[in-house]
Amino acid sequence: MELDKSLISGSIPLLVMKLLEAGDLYGYQMIEELRRRSDDTFHLKAGTLYPLLHGLEEKGFVTAYEGEAAAGKPRRYYHLTERGREALREKEAAWNEYTRAVGQVLRGGACCAGA
Amino acid sequence: MPERKTIEAYLEEVGAQIRWKRARPVVLWELERHLEDQRDAFANQGREDPEGLAVEEMGDPVAVGAELDLLHRPRPQWGLLAFTLLLGAAGAVLRLWLTRDFSIYFAEKPSHVVLGFALGCLALLGGYFLDVGRLGRYPGLIYPGALAVSAASLLCSPNISGASYYTRYVTLCFPVVYALWLYGWRGRGWRGQALAMLGIVPLAVICMMTPHLLALLLLLAAAFGMLLLAAVWDWFGIGRGKSVILPAAAAAGGLALLIRHIRTSGYLLSRLQTALHPELDPMGSGWTAIMMKQVLAVSRWLGEGSLGPVESYEKMVPDCGQSALLTTLIYRMGWLPFLLAVLALTALLVWIFCRCARQKSHLGRLVVLAVGMTLLGEALCSVAWNLGFTLLAADFPLVVGNLHTALIMGLLGLVLSVFRGDSIAREISGRPVKPPRLRVRLEIQRS
Repeated sequence: MELDKSLISGSIPLLVMKLLEAGDLYGYQMIEELRRRSDDTFHLKAGTLYPLLHGLEEKGFVTAYEGEAAAGKPRRYYHLTERGREALREKEAAWNEYTRAVGQVLRGGACCAGA
Repeated sequence: MPERKTIEAYLEEVGAQIRWKRARPVVLWELERHLEDQRDAFANQGREDPEGLAVEEMGDPVAVGAELDLLHRPRPQWGLLAFTLLLGAAGAVLRLWLTRDFSIYFAEKPSHVVLGFALGCLALLGGYFLDVGRLGRYPGLIYPGALAVSAASLLCSPNISGASYYTRYVTLCFPVVYALWLYGWRGRGWRGQALAMLGIVPLAVICMMTPHLLALLLLLAAAFGMLLLAAVWDWFGIGRGKSVILPAAAAAGGLALLIRHIRTSGYLLSRLQTALHPELDPMGSGWTAIMMKQVLAVSRWLGEGSLGPVESYEKMVPDCGQSALLTTLIYRMGWLPFLLAVLALTALLVWIFCRCARQKSHLGRLVVLAVGMTLLGEALCSVAWNLGFTLLAADFPLVVGNLHTALIMGLLGLVLSVFRGDSIAREISGRPVKPPRLRVRLEIQRS
């Protein structure tokens, strides 16, 4: 089943920051990791990812540095800052609230959830 | 035949959308690495035309470039520029107002003030749009250029109050010149560090020939601070600990020489003693301080002080329109306006040093530090002088002197230029940009 893009677009910053919570990654790794963790459901385009990462960097949610990837190739790694972690916690809370509410409506509303 | 999608063509198209030239190499470098990773992955999977597939994976180059263009803008900080101009204008008005009824020798001429302010505006915008990053490419030109300008100034400038008039202003730029000189020697090992440190000597000699003791002290303090920073960043590639050895040894040696000089020459010691106790030489070098203290004693919290009808303020306080202008401000307008002027400059300096600490670019941080220390040193000495501690005369930044204000506005322009491009383009601006790779494709078609 093809996933509706409009469902995904709003959650991409949350997904990217969640990936960085576990450790520093460079762009290509993020795309691969996201695909792996979502069983190939989320296939993020690099053209979407880099403007997003640079935007997060401008906001101070991530910082970037040059590090060496496999075979000594230089890559631009991204690191989630403390401010980014706070933003991530807020986004996660908002997302959980949103999915809970959507689930509740889909199940027929709060009054009928247990029915 | 459909056009083949290549990484080069893709990057070229993305780059064409990004208007800020300096952001392009940084952004394109990252995208190129990604495309190479993706191409290699497709090649390992045995896919046909891996490069074309990798390009396709990236998405529309125009849309991607436009997105990145929105994020990477030089963003002229018109608000900050206007605020600096406002400070300069306020200083100019203050100069005119405070000296309005002084005799022709001490009063500021309106035409000179306007000219000074106009020069200041040009210097501010010049420094801002010239950009520190651009200056950092030519340290080998700027340093000898500064020496040549100083030598010409020493030869041609009029001698006023025992000092080469224009060279006094040139020497205030030396901390910035030294920052650029130091930047040019990074990655050159012990030899680089030694030559970087030797660069202080000609600048210090010019300060002594001017003579401008405050400029000399500011240069030495700023140079020491910058050398320590260079050591922390391991600029010379000899290790952090080892990089500290030479500057620390030079600073210790310089300090020992200074102490010895103070003890043996007696001049500096007597100057210090007079600054602390002006009553020891009331008719000589202590005169200025004694007069200032008398004026300050009759100054009010707000409004003009009362010296009495017999006394003439202008004749009483030497240099009342220049280095003692803050005393004039206190006497004519009160302590509150003086405190507000000091507070405004303190706020500006705090902001500059806070931004300096967050600065990503090493060169930017050095230049901001150099300008910040110059302003701080001048402000401290000027306030101390005007409160009666007459050790080192200095002009209060943005308030005293037409030419001085123009120079300070130029230095502030450079500082603002550092903060302007505070994005990822700064971070990797020192990286040598790879020349574009050229690929020749030959196609033979049957006609």
